[in-house]
Amino acid sequence: MICAIPVVNYKLLYVRIILVLIKMKTKLALIVHGGAGTVAQSRHPQKLAGVQQALRAGYEVLKATNNPVDAVEASIKVMELDEAFNAGYGSMLTCNGEVEMDAILIRGSDLKAGAVGAMKNVAHPISVCKAIMEKTPHVLLVGDGAEQFAKEHGFPVTVTTSEQLTAPRARNLLERVLAKQTVASTEASDSSHDDAPKSLSKGEGGTVGAVAINTFGEIAAGTSTGGIAAKLPGRVGDTPIIGGGTFCDDAICGAGATGLGEAIMRTCVCSRIANALEKGEEPNQACLSALEFMTSRIPEGDGGAIVLTKDGEVGFNFNSNQMSWAYIKQDENVIHYGIEKGDDFTVPYSDS
Amino acid sequence: MDPVVVVHGGAWAIPESMAERSVLGVQEAAKAAWRVLETGGNSIDAVEAAITVLEDDPVFDSGTGAVLTMDGTVELDAIIMEGNSLGAGSVACVERIKNPIQLARKVMEQADHVMLVGKGANMFAEECGIPQVPMEQLVTPEAIESWEFFKKYRCTVQTLFSNRVEELPGSEFVNGHETVGCVVMDKTGLLTAGTSTGGITAKRVGRVGDSPLIGCGAYADNASAAVSCTGHGESISKVCLASLVTEKCRLGIHPNKAIRESLSYMNKRVGGAGGAICIDNKGNIGIGFNTERMAWASKTNVESVYGLDAGERIVF
Repeated sequence: MICAIPVVNYKLLYVRIILVLIKMKTKLALIVHGGAGTVAQSRHPQKLAGVQQALRAGYEVLKATNNPVDAVEASIKVMELDEAFNAGYGSMLTCNGEVEMDAILIRGSDLKAGAVGAMKNVAHPISVCKAIMEKTPHVLLVGDGAEQFAKEHGFPVTVTTSEQLTAPRARNLLERVLAKQTVASTEASDSSHDDAPKSLSKGEGGTVGAVAINTFGEIAAGTSTGGIAAKLPGRVGDTPIIGGGTFCDDAICGAGATGLGEAIMRTCVCSRIANALEKGEEPNQACLSALEFMTSRIPEGDGGAIVLTKDGEVGFNFNSNQMSWAYIKQDENVIHYGIEKGDDFTVPYSDS
Repeated sequence: MDPVVVVHGGAWAIPESMAERSVLGVQEAAKAAWRVLETGGNSIDAVEAAITVLEDDPVFDSGTGAVLTMDGTVELDAIIMEGNSLGAGSVACVERIKNPIQLARKVMEQADHVMLVGKGANMFAEECGIPQVPMEQLVTPEAIESWEFFKKYRCTVQTLFSNRVEELPGSEFVNGHETVGCVVMDKTGLLTAGTSTGGITAKRVGRVGDSPLIGCGAYADNASAAVSCTGHGESISKVCLASLVTEKCRLGIHPNKAIRESLSYMNKRVGGAGGAICIDNKGNIGIGFNTERMAWASKTNVESVYGLDAGERIVF
């Protein structure tokens, strides 16, 4: 009988180890945000707790798998479940009282992406995006077509999901907006009936985003949102538009933006962040340049952004009143987080 | 400023059977835009007029003559953007609208939003008086033929391949990229860009390509340029092609070179091919494509020119 005795080809093993080490050029890093806008003091604790929880979930995946796509998905799924954020459960409602969500996930190595716009009845839009990215040649699916795709790929899709996605706070907010519209139109004042949605879009915001980089310099970026309160049915914002609300390219950076979607789209904020980095601006400044450009051209628009450069540097900034954020870098092993300008709270990271 | 009009009818391997109608169509569209400028319209009016002509022309994949979705329906995308205040209106997956570019303009001028999709976009159309037509009115025999060909082929190959039907021989007939677009600079220097499409044959319902996405299918900024793109939608979206071109123009690169470099980058990075038209804020024209052909026409005070094959320039 011939036995197959395993012979270790040491030379081959050595070469393979060297190749992996050469590929390793960055340390792990992950940054998340929970939305830029005007956040009432009473909401700060749940926002700060929420971004930390999302960061931990994503970082655990990143450490265990070195897969930035899965890490971004994990962080965003936590925030999609958290009523503190305007994504998934807790989404702002359309003027008809429904939840319609936009989301995107981009892989920086081959620029593959999956995105949804105005999709209803699904609890985790970010996971649907991942399925579109990995299983289809397409990038963006909207409306009923997106919902149909989700159903075909095993995501639970029911009308009850939509009711489950509606948070009491979102419903209260919508009622106040619509009441203001009714009052405004019957008062025949200077303010048009459009005033109410605009002012609420300068409200809390709450779009969520995440960017992760692994040890090979591979980046993933994702964003998920319910959009602005009392939006028209079918309204799609900046989130699922590459170069607008989200951008990712291993050669430059991964970036995510939050704020007034229409303003972010019209000025292609995340593309501008990438351009600024290529011109040599440091990451925080690159975010600020893009945001300030947006506000200079569109005064009613402000917001915030997060970025990880191709070298694993972290950046974030906001010209709105607040933005909840958290990040961690492998070499520091400390969670940084904050919500007001100048915040930099820290807590040591320890494996759960 | 001297006014400038540039129009395209799609970048792809346009077969001889469609070549004549395509170049006639883009010339008609360019003339329509010019007439609007001559009678006091601005560049937004001109872009809307040119694209309306192209949408009504069944040889192009936009409005009437659009390709069909997998379910045999027509879903249309369009965008218009002006470069002064960066105002933009975009619609995606709208049904039964004869001229989506007109709906996109209504979104830009009358909605608080920039982009509306699907049923919501149709509801808005009703509210702002854009008439809806029976879907059959937009469907042409060619569109049905392409759809049936694709479905037959796809059924046959589905068991053997993943969905790389785009790579099969003969697929260029069903996967033509006949998106239409127009960029105009009027005498005040206002730049406007517009793009309109029915998408790709037998696309999944709800699939949106690059055309209605700001920075991808079109972009306009008086500080740089107006751009409209055509080609493989997913590739254009991944590299934000319109943004790439406008950024290069902003840095002073001539539009022709900006387009050439951007298309080359796209091809290298994600493998897709396409074309673009551009006017920068000095009035320079850019036209480029790395597909076999692109039907295009331009009109200025100096000359009216059209082309189809690479390097072609024919005065009309």
